[in-house]
Amino acid sequence: MKLSPDEKLEIGKVLEGLEHYRPKRKGWSWRRKRHEHRIGPFLYKNTSENLKRSLPLSAAHAFGDIDPQCDLTITTEIASGRFEDDLRRMRMAAWHGADHIMVIRTTGQSHIDGLIEGTIEGVGGVPITRKQIRATRKALDAIEDEVGRPINFHSYVSGLAGPEIAVLFAEEGVNGAHQDPQYNVLYRDINLHRSFVDAAEAKRILADGNILQLDGAHNANATAKQAWKVTPELFVQHAINTAYSRRAGMPADRIALSTVPPTAPPAPKIRLDLPYAVALRELFAGYRFRAQQNTRYMEADTLEASVTHVLDTLLSRLTATDIQSTITPDEGRNIPWHYHNVAGVNTARQTLMGLDGVTEQIVLKKDGGVHAQVRELKERAVLFLEEILAGGGYYDAVAAGQFVDSGYFPERNGDGIHRDPAGGDGAGSVVPREADYGAPVCSHFGTNVYASGDDKPCDAIGGCSLCDASKIRYIDELDPEDNVNQRLRQPLADRAAGVLRPEVEKHADGVVCATLFVPASPKVAEAAALEMARHMGLREPVVLSRRIMHPAEGSVFEIKGALDAAVRIEDLQLDDRPEPLPEAEIEAWVRPRQLHVVAATVGEDEHSVGLREILDIKHGGIEKYGFHCHYLGTSVALQRLLEAARDTAASAVLISTIITHERVHERMMRELHELAKRHRLREKLLLIAGGTQVTDQMARACGLDAGFGRGTRGRDVASLLVQMLKARGS
Amino acid sequence: MRCAPRKDDFATRRKHLQKMSDQELHAHFWKLVEDIVAPLIEEARTHTTPSIERSVLMRMGFSSVETKVLVQRVLERGLLGRGAGRLLLGLARTKGVSVREAGTALIEGKYGEELGA
Repeated sequence: MKLSPDEKLEIGKVLEGLEHYRPKRKGWSWRRKRHEHRIGPFLYKNTSENLKRSLPLSAAHAFGDIDPQCDLTITTEIASGRFEDDLRRMRMAAWHGADHIMVIRTTGQSHIDGLIEGTIEGVGGVPITRKQIRATRKALDAIEDEVGRPINFHSYVSGLAGPEIAVLFAEEGVNGAHQDPQYNVLYRDINLHRSFVDAAEAKRILADGNILQLDGAHNANATAKQAWKVTPELFVQHAINTAYSRRAGMPADRIALSTVPPTAPPAPKIRLDLPYAVALRELFAGYRFRAQQNTRYMEADTLEASVTHVLDTLLSRLTATDIQSTITPDEGRNIPWHYHNVAGVNTARQTLMGLDGVTEQIVLKKDGGVHAQVRELKERAVLFLEEILAGGGYYDAVAAGQFVDSGYFPERNGDGIHRDPAGGDGAGSVVPREADYGAPVCSHFGTNVYASGDDKPCDAIGGCSLCDASKIRYIDELDPEDNVNQRLRQPLADRAAGVLRPEVEKHADGVVCATLFVPASPKVAEAAALEMARHMGLREPVVLSRRIMHPAEGSVFEIKGALDAAVRIEDLQLDDRPEPLPEAEIEAWVRPRQLHVVAATVGEDEHSVGLREILDIKHGGIEKYGFHCHYLGTSVALQRLLEAARDTAASAVLISTIITHERVHERMMRELHELAKRHRLREKLLLIAGGTQVTDQMARACGLDAGFGRGTRGRDVASLLVQMLKARGS
Repeated sequence: MRCAPRKDDFATRRKHLQKMSDQELHAHFWKLVEDIVAPLIEEARTHTTPSIERSVLMRMGFSSVETKVLVQRVLERGLLGRGAGRLLLGLARTKGVSVREAGTALIEGKYGEELGA
């Protein structure tokens, strides 16, 4: 499957032949780092290889549209519940620099004892099935070819079916996975013994599959009432999963610690979070770090969330990080929308490029306050470990509620999470292996009669599915109603009919977001804003965010609602004006030629702003390319304009005509053309008109060379002048 | 026993750590972690679960729907501790059929009595 940048991702093509599809490559990929990397006018220090195709940051426009890529892997979490809609979002995110796509699982999958199949719709995530991940990997294989960089696909190996999901991931080319038995125990109440026994098998499979593992310690931040007080325990949770993974056969460079700076402003964030980040990197030297942005203190304000995420990313750069995970700025108010995934990715991308090379100039102080805090955190973590052992070990500590207590250890508030080691989901399902226990397959952990000799354990069966992909059993769909083929009917019909609807999450969901400032007290303003949204035709309007500007002067609201409007593509009037020439090309042609342009607002018309913006260098007008502009003012007679054109040997006359009463604007254009002919100037001059009601077609009909309407920039006019003058052989 | 509330006694509790260098503290940290993890990994080494056994059968070429039934058959006979994969391979050898044929037959209700014999 090959993607073309100007064509949509065809889900039908993704699903075609899926039963035979094999992933292009397996295992985790890091970006290829470039240390001294010249891109456009700059020499970068912390970059990786450029992308083949991408959409740069907006400001890149001023630097030759460069799109430097930072040296960290950038993660975005995508899971609307329908994988077919998520694939399009993954493509958009990849074009903005994401190369680690994390797919959240549907609610409750942790508690299903076994695998699920098909493409049933999820809630708050996607049901992780073979078909769904194979389709996703296939789409990502095509997307990574399109952008020119490997994309890591990631999901979760937790819950009751960990070993099976690990096999599935290894078979299907999933590149990264969360695996941490403590997560099962603390947050999913899955039996402790079952979680740990399963985890060793799962970890061994992930290790052999070269799949990068993330742990689950960061969930304690998100759960604890005061996230910064749980930091000593975070070291403990990281360490237990890390040591357990090593014992299961996982190499250090495939173990990534999932860490979140615990606070957000107005807390003194950097001062609190930095010692924790430093202590973690020191204690876990040799392992990888996945820095997640803070979610614990996110509210509905997307800008405030983004600023916190910028500070999180600053910490990543000041310490050491391998993966920068992003949180969508709207996660505090809804399931993330398409364009907020892109916004989150861009927050990290913009921050990291802005911080390029900063550690060559700024170094953290080794002595003083930070070091003392780093040391204290480590000691508190050691005391936590000592207490686990003193109390009889890990199982007893969990039973006693030692974890996720809100106290700053060794302080305790007695509100930790208790789990009965004999209870929880899957209790009683762990069985001792007999002396002749055997499993004739690869990547199996623990005692096994087939693992004693030099041969591969799977030689006994002539190869396992991890060595021979033809052994993989593919199941397509089990549910005739709840599947992707049924869900695609509407999108395919819309596509065939050439119909478009707005969307934020799922195909044609119709959701739009409006921003309204209402000058009244908060309650009145909110009721008014909702009423206004209804007047705008939004169905079921809901306030997404509210911010009081002043208790009496007003509040601003973001309101979402459904817009029941489908437009037909064939009915649309498209702007068919060609793209203007590149700025450098315009200037290179104009400046050496000393070209003059005469301009004025004509008739009885005192409007000056629009034309000044087309001319003035300060507003990006044509002066900046080297045109000599002679601006004669407003209400200027056409005769005077043409005299000035003759006196300055101008190449072009630009008139602005805003007033349209009795079609005076059209009359002005016609008269200019006629007058120029009479003065025998018409052949020498380009005559161009502009104005809010002017169109190119109208200007040409009136005898002029071109017309420009609303929204025109200096560059558009300059570009056309250059093209026309070139055509005339000037 | 449940953890009781306790005031922050870090200043007194840390006394034995105070004199350690950073390096010694790190070594102590990792030694404690190893001690905590050792019994957990030992349990994993010597035990199995239905999910592990289903994952073994997946690797042997069975679908998720098939592994569910097969592990259920093994569980019903109290044989999980011998390994579903080994039992199936043994059955295939006894019957002179492929592992896949043995599994399919077992799903269809055949060979049940001979499993693990």
